[in-house]
Amino acid sequence: MIGGDVLLLGLDLTVEASDFGQATIYPENSTAHPDYSNPLIRDHTDYRKLKKIDIKNAPRMQRVIEMARRAIREKGLTAVFVPVVSSPLSVLGMMRSAEEVFKDCVLYPADVMAALETVTAVLIDYINALCDTGLIIIAPDMLFAAKSGIGKEIWEKIEGPFGREIADAIHRRKCLVAIHNCGDGPYFDSMMRFMKPEAISFARLPDDCKTRKELKKRYGDRVILIGNVETSILYRGTPHEVMEECKKVIDDLADGGGFILAPGCEYPPNANLLNAIIMVQAAQIYG
Amino acid sequence: MEDKQKLLTGLEKAVREHNSEELNRCLGAAFETAIVEDELRLALFRGLERQRRRMMTDDVPVPHFLLSLDTVHEGFKRISLHLGREPGHGTPLVIGVVEGDPHDLGKNIIAKVYEASSYRVYDLGREVSVDAFIRNVQEKEAKVLALSAMMSTTMAMMPEIIRRVKEETPGTVIMVGGAPLDTALAKSFGADGYAESAVTLLEQTEAAIERVSAGEPW
Repeated sequence: MIGGDVLLLGLDLTVEASDFGQATIYPENSTAHPDYSNPLIRDHTDYRKLKKIDIKNAPRMQRVIEMARRAIREKGLTAVFVPVVSSPLSVLGMMRSAEEVFKDCVLYPADVMAALETVTAVLIDYINALCDTGLIIIAPDMLFAAKSGIGKEIWEKIEGPFGREIADAIHRRKCLVAIHNCGDGPYFDSMMRFMKPEAISFARLPDDCKTRKELKKRYGDRVILIGNVETSILYRGTPHEVMEECKKVIDDLADGGGFILAPGCEYPPNANLLNAIIMVQAAQIYG
Repeated sequence: MEDKQKLLTGLEKAVREHNSEELNRCLGAAFETAIVEDELRLALFRGLERQRRRMMTDDVPVPHFLLSLDTVHEGFKRISLHLGREPGHGTPLVIGVVEGDPHDLGKNIIAKVYEASSYRVYDLGREVSVDAFIRNVQEKEAKVLALSAMMSTTMAMMPEIIRRVKEETPGTVIMVGGAPLDTALAKSFGADGYAESAVTLLEQTEAAIERVSAGEPW
């Protein structure tokens, strides 16, 4: 009904952490979330107790794998269905709370990195299983590689090396890496250095760019840019306003190719679907 | 006995370096001098304020700011214990994440920044109902209500909360924040102010309080 060429799909942020054994709550009218009163990692000494799991016995990841299988087998969406895989640090955030993980990165970096090693091994198994379905693009969600995350130096030391392992695993399968990062001030330079992505889906400008045009100039010839129509405009805007905003984004980023018009983050589930159709039309008219 | 100014500077530095040992040493020494409570709190706040401002220029990453916040919190607690009474005599403020929304990292940071800058903070946590917001604003005689939402679905509840708070406790200054929001949305919801992050929080809140007190439109 809407059209569009690519579907980046993340079920919710707890998929991987739940399979590690994090107690999870599934409210009827909201997103799944960890049971915050019962975190799997209660203090920094628990990081090293985290055990690798077999993804064959990981029901939530298996569900995503099955979705991918069906998307390809029944609908032929090989290059269209792009599953989002949480970053290793985000997975820890679901098992400890982001706030505590942030602080632990400064206070107990070796403990955090021990857990990241365990999580990354599982994520690579998960990625391989996804690639087995015939998918050709995977979207690691690197939310904390941003000014609103853990800081550039800390990210490069703590999560960057594991981000590299994840990207290498995707590339070994001849698949493409389309990083998603809806943080404020994403570190394009660091993510590109560690992960060599083919594309980056973003909501906000990178920490080293002041305008979209500058972003295009600095990175546009090295990576496909996916974004960055503001969620708030999709939510509150009239079709006319959405069309105008899409035009501005296309004007700034589409020149010379290597650009996919998309929402900066989610398409708001409670926004008017007409605005999604307008986005597709805008791409056809101005793209 | 250590010089008063040296102790106050030591407290500031302890916050900047999130050094709990130094914090406790300076406070222990300060309790034996004639330094008054407000001076101690101000020194802790100055340390945090410097960190907050350095976040604007990217010199201080979020994890370090969180650790500085913890140090200030620990300092406030220690001062209160020493004096044998609860902290805070500033502007009463109620804060919480709206119903259905479990994300509270941003709200936790904001609550601690308000607390460190002498607001009397009543943190209702996450997934707070409209009725709970209104009841607490009334019971605590809150001057400011700060609402947080991290999802577009839960953000949609803000207009109703704002409408009811303004109806039932007129004069309350309502601040909103969260990832899906921007200034235009905040205005369209009927809020009195919007802060993108802890970096602009205090200035935006003070501006909103002034606007509401003067009866000026946003």
